[in-house]
Amino acid sequence: MVRSEEGQLYTIEGIAAGLIMIMTAYLVVSATSVYTAGDTHISDMHLEQIGTDALMAMDTPPDIYTISNLSAFVRDDNGEGFKKMFLNITNNRTLSGPDHIQFTASYTCRNNVDNSIASYPLSFSRNLSGGEHAVRVTKWVIAKKNVCGNNYFPVQDRAVLVEVLMWRD
Amino acid sequence: MARLNDDAQWIILMGFLISFSFFFLAIIINQSTVVGQTTAESVIEFPKNDIRDLTGVIEYNTTVSNSTLVNSDITAIAMNRKNAIVRYTVILPQTPQDTHSYALIHYNNGVTEYDENWTSL
Repeated sequence: MVRSEEGQLYTIEGIAAGLIMIMTAYLVVSATSVYTAGDTHISDMHLEQIGTDALMAMDTPPDIYTISNLSAFVRDDNGEGFKKMFLNITNNRTLSGPDHIQFTASYTCRNNVDNSIASYPLSFSRNLSGGEHAVRVTKWVIAKKNVCGNNYFPVQDRAVLVEVLMWRD
Repeated sequence: MARLNDDAQWIILMGFLISFSFFFLAIIINQSTVVGQTTAESVIEFPKNDIRDLTGVIEYNTTVSNSTLVNSDITAIAMNRKNAIVRYTVILPQTPQDTHSYALIHYNNGVTEYDENWTSL
């Protein structure tokens, strides 16, 4: 029996190299958890930004003597006006057909007699069925209105929180 | 180790070095996604729009006379609808020496605590 140990070093090296390669492959494979748009809520953030910008635009008055459109919509309970303007701003796209963002909006106000909070629906473009993946955008609005059953005379400026749930269908 | 030709040991050494460098590169790639995720999460978590919106309405509040009503509205509604503690104090302009309004804003939604010393334009 010829005992040749000439190849032992190479065998050990081979095992070591093999282990290194396996470890490297494991690290690389476990690192390729690529965050897709759905995972990282990038599309949600995008939608949220569109909504925030739309509400911001709606709450910007043309000059200091006029109140903003959004403030007027809340003051007059003008849901139709809100709906028309909001869908116009959010759904219009350049060089392609309109987007299909839907929303439901409400506003929250405070009764300062008993310090209670109540929310009232403002407008909606489609009923919420519960299956939508909606994001919430909010905007503080100053409205000269007797909100939540307050009874001021003359009417005072009040802060209300407009909340919009928006989603694409 | 008789008759073992070890002339090419440096090639084996180079092989080891290269394998180890690959190994460390793989660790860097592995960690980079974690870093990206942590950063993205903290960016999402920060209530940027809330705070911006708040400074907007406070700016308005510095122009109306009855600011306590609006102030209490914001405090109560923010707690009720957004689970956020919002407190602010407005210091109206000390004209004619200083035409700026100031506001000390405190915001805490449980995750982010934010304080600002706001000055009007």
